[in-house]
Amino acid sequence: MSESKPARTGHGAYVRKVQEDTQNFAQGLIGEVERLRVLVAALESEKATLAAQAREIETIVRANDVLRAQIEGIKAETKAYSSRYAEVEQQNSNLANLYVASYRLHGTLDREEVIAAIQEIIANLVGSEEAALFEINSDTQALDLLASFGVKRDECPSIPLGGGGLISLTARTGEILVVDPAQLSGATGLESRLTACVPLKLDDKVTGVIAIFGLLPQKGGIEDLDRELFDLLATQAAFALYCTDLHAKVALEAARRW
Amino acid sequence: MSKKKILVVDDSRTALFMVTTILRKERYELVTASDGEQALEVAAAELPDLILMDVIMPRKTGFEACRELKRREDTKSIPVILVTTRGEGENVEAGFQSGCNDYVTKPINAQELLTKVRDHMGAR
Repeated sequence: MSESKPARTGHGAYVRKVQEDTQNFAQGLIGEVERLRVLVAALESEKATLAAQAREIETIVRANDVLRAQIEGIKAETKAYSSRYAEVEQQNSNLANLYVASYRLHGTLDREEVIAAIQEIIANLVGSEEAALFEINSDTQALDLLASFGVKRDECPSIPLGGGGLISLTARTGEILVVDPAQLSGATGLESRLTACVPLKLDDKVTGVIAIFGLLPQKGGIEDLDRELFDLLATQAAFALYCTDLHAKVALEAARRW
Repeated sequence: MSKKKILVVDDSRTALFMVTTILRKERYELVTASDGEQALEVAAAELPDLILMDVIMPRKTGFEACRELKRREDTKSIPVILVTTRGEGENVEAGFQSGCNDYVTKPINAQELLTKVRDHMGAR
């Protein structure tokens, strides 16, 4: 019996120790649970914040896409506008050239001045320093040289209207001719350097032909504006030359009366 | 701001009329001369901001007039753009040897002319 007492005492201490440990462990667990609960709450809150931020980012990304699409649209529009602007500028410039040509042709009643204007239009607006101006002589049925620029007069003899060359062909058809190199295969002399032929027309009746030979080296070829200038020359140059004749006749008649 | 002044020199009335039509659109003040000799007189009297001058002209060619302009104290800083019918090497070389700042070739392209005029005018 004397041996069982200390054993009981040890048992009690042990139980107390277990109880204390259990209590401590339970306290610890409660603390840990509380800490985890706070952590979970914080994480929940963080999650909510992140979700809100994700939604915000998504909205921003969508807005960004919309803006990017708008920017692309604006870029395309700007490009279209600048190309249109360049087009309009080109048209303005073309119109200015036509205006200059028309103004020069009708700015005088002096025949020599009109011929000089034709030459200057061909040199400055078309870009050729080699041309010849022929007039139809109805008596001889031939194209007689009226003036030549950059080519010798003896290189431009009278051309029979019924001849086989491109200059007489232009006089017969009344159509502007921009020469295709293939058309020059059989051509000789000056005609072998022909670039274009412009008929001079009054009321659809051909009165002469402007033959344009070599172009300036930097001029690549006949362009759209040149064709418009040829159209203008075809009627306006003929009309301007006709006016100078008329004016000369009227002046002569007036001088005779006085 | 006062308008910039350009002296346009050409013996061809068509070329003169065309260039002035292009430049007038840009609101430049324009003075003209019809040959190299007259260009020197007008340049000295008007002191333009830029000179646009044809090469082939009576009395004094564009090259000669340009050399003279660049020799004179009062006109040597005025930019000169020569208008040439030939855009190949030796003609361009001759132009730059005469002291010109730039050149354009005939037939004149309005956009090219305006760009060069603006470029040289901007430097003054």
